[in-house]
Amino acid sequence: MQFNRILQKIIRTGVGKSRYWMAIIGLGVAMLLILVALQVHTDFNELLHGTRNQNERADYLVVNKLITNDMMGKPELTVFTAEEQKDFAAQPFVEAFGAITAAQFNVKLEADQLGFSTLAFFESVPDTFLDVKTEEWKWQAGQQMLPIMVPRDFVNMFNFGFALGNGIPQFSEKTIQSMTPQVVISQGMQQGQFIGKIAGFSDRISTVLVPQSFMDWANKAYGTGEVKLPSRVVIRVKDPSSIELRDYLEKHHYSTDNEKTKYNKIRGIVQTIVSVVGFFGLVLLMFALLVFSMFIQLVISSCKKEIRLLVTLGTAPQRLQRYLLGQLVPVYFVTGVIALAVVAVAQWWASGVLEKHGMYVAPWPGVMTIAATVGILLLVYIVNWRTVRKEIRAHT
Amino acid sequence: MQIELSAVVPVPLRDRIRERPSDIWDRTVTFRPGQFVKIKAPSGTGKTTLVHYLYHIRYDYTGTITAGGKPWGQYSPAQLASVRQEAISVVFQDLRLFDQLTAEENIELKRVMIPQPLYPADKIREFAELLGVTHVLQQSAATLSYGERQRIAIIRALMQPFQWLMMDEPFSHLDEANTAKAAKLVEQECRARKAGFILTDLDHDQHFTYDVTYQL
Repeated sequence: MQFNRILQKIIRTGVGKSRYWMAIIGLGVAMLLILVALQVHTDFNELLHGTRNQNERADYLVVNKLITNDMMGKPELTVFTAEEQKDFAAQPFVEAFGAITAAQFNVKLEADQLGFSTLAFFESVPDTFLDVKTEEWKWQAGQQMLPIMVPRDFVNMFNFGFALGNGIPQFSEKTIQSMTPQVVISQGMQQGQFIGKIAGFSDRISTVLVPQSFMDWANKAYGTGEVKLPSRVVIRVKDPSSIELRDYLEKHHYSTDNEKTKYNKIRGIVQTIVSVVGFFGLVLLMFALLVFSMFIQLVISSCKKEIRLLVTLGTAPQRLQRYLLGQLVPVYFVTGVIALAVVAVAQWWASGVLEKHGMYVAPWPGVMTIAATVGILLLVYIVNWRTVRKEIRAHT
Repeated sequence: MQIELSAVVPVPLRDRIRERPSDIWDRTVTFRPGQFVKIKAPSGTGKTTLVHYLYHIRYDYTGTITAGGKPWGQYSPAQLASVRQEAISVVFQDLRLFDQLTAEENIELKRVMIPQPLYPADKIREFAELLGVTHVLQQSAATLSYGERQRIAIIRALMQPFQWLMMDEPFSHLDEANTAKAAKLVEQECRARKAGFILTDLDHDQHFTYDVTYQL
């Protein structure tokens, strides 16, 4: 007869059956929760950043300070100081940073063809931040023709709001581009005239733009001479839904287009749920480990006399340890594999469902999930091994 | 393996030992390999205590006991296990069988404790036959009479290789005929291994030709 078969009759592992199954079930559920949390995290990341799911997510955001009632009438509070600009530009989620330069002169647009005249304003951004690429977008000193870029929203506002309400005809973008309103810029007694030309319509930056070179020249020629700090900046970010970006904006009371950052709300919610699930998994794992240890203690103390006699007769304590662990390890190894298999099936199913909606996640569990399975099993093994060793030592 | 006692005094018996002389306590005693040693003592003088000291399962003494030139205290649990598997075997006075096992399983336990058993499994039946306990082999150890348990414990002790066999009043519950059979088997097994034994008993006996006798 094998030695271990005799041991089986001596060391009754049956005494703690209920505890044993509690520990196994606890471990199974804990592993399932942890693995699901990790897998959802992996999937969500893949949905957000995976090359198969997203076209370029990089996006441009115009950021300004939130204007509160206290700040009204104090324009110096709404500008970005040099330090603030530097700090913002240095953030890891900011790929490119540009200041929007405001004009230091008055602007008046006169469209004689339409009998239309309005006060206006200009701002400028570095060219790399523009979404409209056109040959016309340049200006050099002495040039009469001044390219202007307006937000597409302006055109829509005019066509569908202002024009309809006031009985003015609507204009196509092409027509608008063919107009050449007169641009008068002035500061005090100084005045200059240019011929405006709508060079394009921006979806990205909602302001009236002129080329940076013109702005620099005009601010020098017509401005007060002092350097004015920008009150708006434009940034390029890899992922407008990033939590870091949201937190940074919130912390500094900056404001931007909420439509573009709405994903970070969803993402925040998902991450919270995933964290809570993972946390419960960890707590449950701790309890499972505790119950496991209690089970081992119970088994060993219920047959401490027998263990002592076995050692007296010459059984190596190490061999008893191996035997006891051998009773436990296969069961929780199977538990771990089952948990992983359940997650794998769920993942495969989810991948099929998501694919129908044009979202792609891997049909098999992620590396993190598999690594976590191995890690948890290893942790359980180490904890059990230590308990068995401690208990055997205490009773021999 | 030589076993040496050097000024060994059991702490609980300290005062009593000072009053009456002993060949063992507080002396230097050497048990040479292969010796048949008899330790004779009346009740209460520490026979069982001595066997437990020699087998290193009790430690409440002053002085030192060395086995193979190394004090017991320096053996690790693993080394101790290997000594008990291959160098020193024991028959306890209280026998120490597992009640939840059958008589045969109790013996088998010792046989298969080492990876390469000394004897094949049918040796159990052979020895049982010699000592007249074949009929109880399949019975739970708990149901055996003391004499039967004693013989099972002796067979168990003989299932392993050893250089020393410690026996604490091993024949106390056997009649003359059975004692003779058991003693013959023990002697034969010790001779085959060129091993010695240390036997404690209350009084004189003629079962063995002892090399040395001590009064405890």
